[in-house]
Amino acid sequence: MSGVAVPRPWSGFYWLCRRECHRVLKLWTQTTLAPVVSSLLFIVVFGLSLGGRINEVQGFPYEVFIVPGLVAMAMAQAAYSNNASTIYQGRSDRFMDDVLASPMHAWQMNVGYLAGGAFRALIIGGALAALAVPITGAPVEQPLFLLVAVLLLVAGFGALGTIVGVHAESFDHTSFINNIVILPLTFLGGVFYSVDSLGSPWEQISHANPLFYVVDAVRYGFLGTSDVGAPISFAVLAAMTLGLLAWSQHLFTSGRKLKP
Amino acid sequence: MEASANPALRLRGLTKRYDDGTLALDALDLEVPAGSFFGLLGPNGAGKTTLISAVCNLIRITDGEALVFGRQSGTLEARRQIGIAEQEPNLDRFLSVRETLVYHGGYYGMERRAAEERAEQMMEVFDLRAKRDVRAPKLSGGMKRRLLLARALLHEPRLVILDEPTAGVDIELRHELWRYIRRLHEQGTTILLTTHYLEEAEALCGEIALIGGGRIIARDSADGLKQRYEADNLEQVYLKTVASGRLAEGVA
Repeated sequence: MSGVAVPRPWSGFYWLCRRECHRVLKLWTQTTLAPVVSSLLFIVVFGLSLGGRINEVQGFPYEVFIVPGLVAMAMAQAAYSNNASTIYQGRSDRFMDDVLASPMHAWQMNVGYLAGGAFRALIIGGALAALAVPITGAPVEQPLFLLVAVLLLVAGFGALGTIVGVHAESFDHTSFINNIVILPLTFLGGVFYSVDSLGSPWEQISHANPLFYVVDAVRYGFLGTSDVGAPISFAVLAAMTLGLLAWSQHLFTSGRKLKP
Repeated sequence: MEASANPALRLRGLTKRYDDGTLALDALDLEVPAGSFFGLLGPNGAGKTTLISAVCNLIRITDGEALVFGRQSGTLEARRQIGIAEQEPNLDRFLSVRETLVYHGGYYGMERRAAEERAEQMMEVFDLRAKRDVRAPKLSGGMKRRLLLARALLHEPRLVILDEPTAGVDIELRHELWRYIRRLHEQGTTILLTTHYLEEAEALCGEIALIGGGRIIARDSADGLKQRYEADNLEQVYLKTVASGRLAEGVA
């Protein structure tokens, strides 16, 4: 036996990305179908059924106004949940050891795990947009900005999932963050209303919610309108994403919590 | 220095203290020659698995160093040389038998075709072909153990670390596994084995180190150890060294 002769530094990264996407597809009813159906129900129930009784918001029919926020919310939850669960399962069943022991750089492990969350979120976002845009007539005014917002969103929430997956002591911890932090903050971040319509101090308080900027940036991509101005939303979203990515990278580089 | 001139494993002052304060490795020194069949024996909690984990980048070392064929243990070059079959079956629950092997090959830098061909070989050798599309959680204990070994050997590592590979395995499979591991060793692969079956260690290993309290207590060939401790077999050596130390600690 002579051992593996030729180092192929991208191979491990490719196979980890592939493994993460494979996992998403293997569990497709749970990972992609269910979130698309539940978000579509929001659009049908809140938009099409109740929307007729609500005046236009920022110049758009209500069913159009809520589409970007619902897409952002579904994608954020998907990227987060995917990474939190895959990392937690890998740690708890210890099959992550096969990755940790392999000749892969720490950044390749971090980004490789992010790939699954991004893949899942992009499938959901794409499917939701493909269904909701024709149903509601929502436009895509700034496709490039939309793409940037979506990439920042999936990277940031995927990294948050990684961080929680690394620190979680039980599976409940991963769902706790989703149900108690991400979901309420997204709802309060203006998915169903414009924070402009809130009186003081609620409008100012809403601006302290980081999820508000996520929704606002995605809404700017779809509708070309923003509550606080697109540069501010994108700057906050980018800063948040970079911070979370740096944190998740630190966990892989230092091995803290991943390796006893 | 040429990497092949180095021992397979050189540990110098290797220390591991866990976050809860437990000292699992206490400035441990050990050298495993390249090409040897080396046994590491000790009771539960002696530090065997911690030592293996330190070498395989699975724990953070507190102090000291571990060199694998002359390379620092955490480096990609060192990791590429090692194949590990851990004590507990830690198989990816989302992958089938075949996928487990092919993905592992990919993680270790093998080309897809090479990984697929090697996976077929390993499934043949370990009699896993009939289960190729079965996911790991649905395999029996013996089959999981076979798959763990097949995975550890898939990328043709120069140093194979087997942590209690025959624990809970029936006698027929145990002999089958040892036949294969022996053949592997004859072809030049270094084997580091931990086991609770002392007769197994005596029959297989050219050299044996006894570990207790995170330190190497004694190290020699099986015959050398028996001679030094005036024992008829390895079990007596074990009882006189490692176990007596534990009993003394317990009494104190």
